[in-house]
Amino acid sequence: MTKSEASGPSARADANLVLDINDLLDDYTSLIDRDDLERWPDLFVADGVYRVLSRENIERGLTAPLVYYYSQGMMRDRVTTLRDALTYEFVYTRHVTSPPRLRLRADGDVAVTSSFSIFQSTEAGVTRTFAVGAYEDIVTRTERGVKFRSRDVVLDTFGVLNNIAIPL
Amino acid sequence: MNTRQTPEWPASDFTRVPFRVFMDEDIEQLEQERVFDRVWCYLGMAIEVPGPGDYIVAYVGRTEVVLSRDEEGRLAAFVNSCSHRGAQVVRRIRGNAMSHTCPYHQWCFGARGELLGLPLLRGVKGKGGMPEDFDKTAHGLKALRVEEYKGLVFGTFSPTIGSLHDYLGPRMRPQIDRIFDRKPRVLGYYRQRIPANWKLYLENLKDHHGALLHLFHATFGIARPTMTARVALDVERGHSFTHLADNDEDKVQVRAAYAGTEQYREDYRLDDPSFLQVEPDYDDRVTNVIMSIFPNLMLGQVANTFQTRAIRPKGKDEFELFWTYLAFEDDDDEAIEGKLRQSNFIGPAGYISLEDGEAGRMVQIGIASRPHDSSFVEMGGRGALEDADNISTEVAVRAFWKRYAEAMAIDGDDRR
Repeated sequence: MTKSEASGPSARADANLVLDINDLLDDYTSLIDRDDLERWPDLFVADGVYRVLSRENIERGLTAPLVYYYSQGMMRDRVTTLRDALTYEFVYTRHVTSPPRLRLRADGDVAVTSSFSIFQSTEAGVTRTFAVGAYEDIVTRTERGVKFRSRDVVLDTFGVLNNIAIPL
Repeated sequence: MNTRQTPEWPASDFTRVPFRVFMDEDIEQLEQERVFDRVWCYLGMAIEVPGPGDYIVAYVGRTEVVLSRDEEGRLAAFVNSCSHRGAQVVRRIRGNAMSHTCPYHQWCFGARGELLGLPLLRGVKGKGGMPEDFDKTAHGLKALRVEEYKGLVFGTFSPTIGSLHDYLGPRMRPQIDRIFDRKPRVLGYYRQRIPANWKLYLENLKDHHGALLHLFHATFGIARPTMTARVALDVERGHSFTHLADNDEDKVQVRAAYAGTEQYREDYRLDDPSFLQVEPDYDDRVTNVIMSIFPNLMLGQVANTFQTRAIRPKGKDEFELFWTYLAFEDDDDEAIEGKLRQSNFIGPAGYISLEDGEAGRMVQIGIASRPHDSSFVEMGGRGALEDADNISTEVAVRAFWKRYAEAMAIDGDDRR
């Protein structure tokens, strides 16, 4: 279902790369929904960037992020503090994402965008829509397979339902 | 109006807060009239409406208002509800327009909310239209008085209240000056919908939870109970501020302060602490400043982040926390990058702030079946409301309730 926006056959991502990218995107959402957060930083390169941004700020040209991690270490720190330090509501999460759109970049990386909905369910099994928005990614090939060079989580739901604890 | 009950206070020194004030719709209605409609309420920053015609939507309690700048550069504010049939007139939350036309029947208002004109004033072919004595000047949008202090813009419905300068008062103004004498610019906005009564956030701003709830805070030196602290009150006006500063306290002291809790861990290390190592804007070693301007504005500093937080009630058990995250015109690129990095402290996902929303949620749930009970607010002592040189105190919480109770007890409709 992946659609390439690049013009001309030579600019199309080859089939294996497309499959690898699909796996990366699936790994991301499924490991969060399984609460396997310790593996989350491994989907990024060592100096990978993870940001949560609001559509309101982007439209206004304002740069303040809701989250700005620029290393795997910072992502690991988030997971550690979620486990040991931070007080937040326990919820189950479920991501539903659209098929990605891919665009090969001149530097060989791939720009990938997809839409997401994130539902939260309480321990009593009551579900609410927590956030909708778009992932805007730069994916790169490494010796350890494809990884996120960056993932921007752009929130339409920037009027955040209480708070953001676990990664989106 | 007189049939509605004001809250009853179990203790004259406000060491007990009846949970009813957080869950009662009558009280919520009453506080719109007796608190929000009678005070100077924060609307926004002058830099958000820099030019003629610029406007933003803001709130006075639950009332939606528009802060706007007119042709001559003067600030104005008016209620966003048509003087004809009540429709919302301005429908985008920000923009630029020298006039605002109500889409329903095309009544057209100027940048100060004055009625400029309306269609069918004289009817069609001599039939219909407004009565002969219709007076345009009497049908503008409901206006607020507007005043500005150091770029912070406030509005009031009260015709009798004194100047904003006096409202802020001599204790708070120097604290505001410390930050807002510099020329700010907006780095961005954050919004949280917190499932709690707005006053629970006021309590949260004024109490001693910072170094207890926020393990991150405590462990990495943003706030520890053993730091140099100052809690200062303006009891008459209902404002307060808390300062925390580094003082090189020793670890024995810190361990003793946390005895009986699990909140301080020396074995805790970050993989990447670089975002903590941002050059501070000030050399006074102050790491936290929490200013609370009655009733619902917070101004402050956490580490090297500076912000305004408007606490906007959205019902008895929900509020929007609206953050304006600031940098300053004299910040260089490195300073800006530092502030972007330290956004990880604050906002809806911030290491420190995310827990404040959770605190509100927990209390709102916890008290749901206890409307006739009260909280216990004696940390720091009972009786007199006085400044403190430590943060092991809830005195600023009690001072807030005193000011609130005084406002709520005054009957009569002196607004509008």
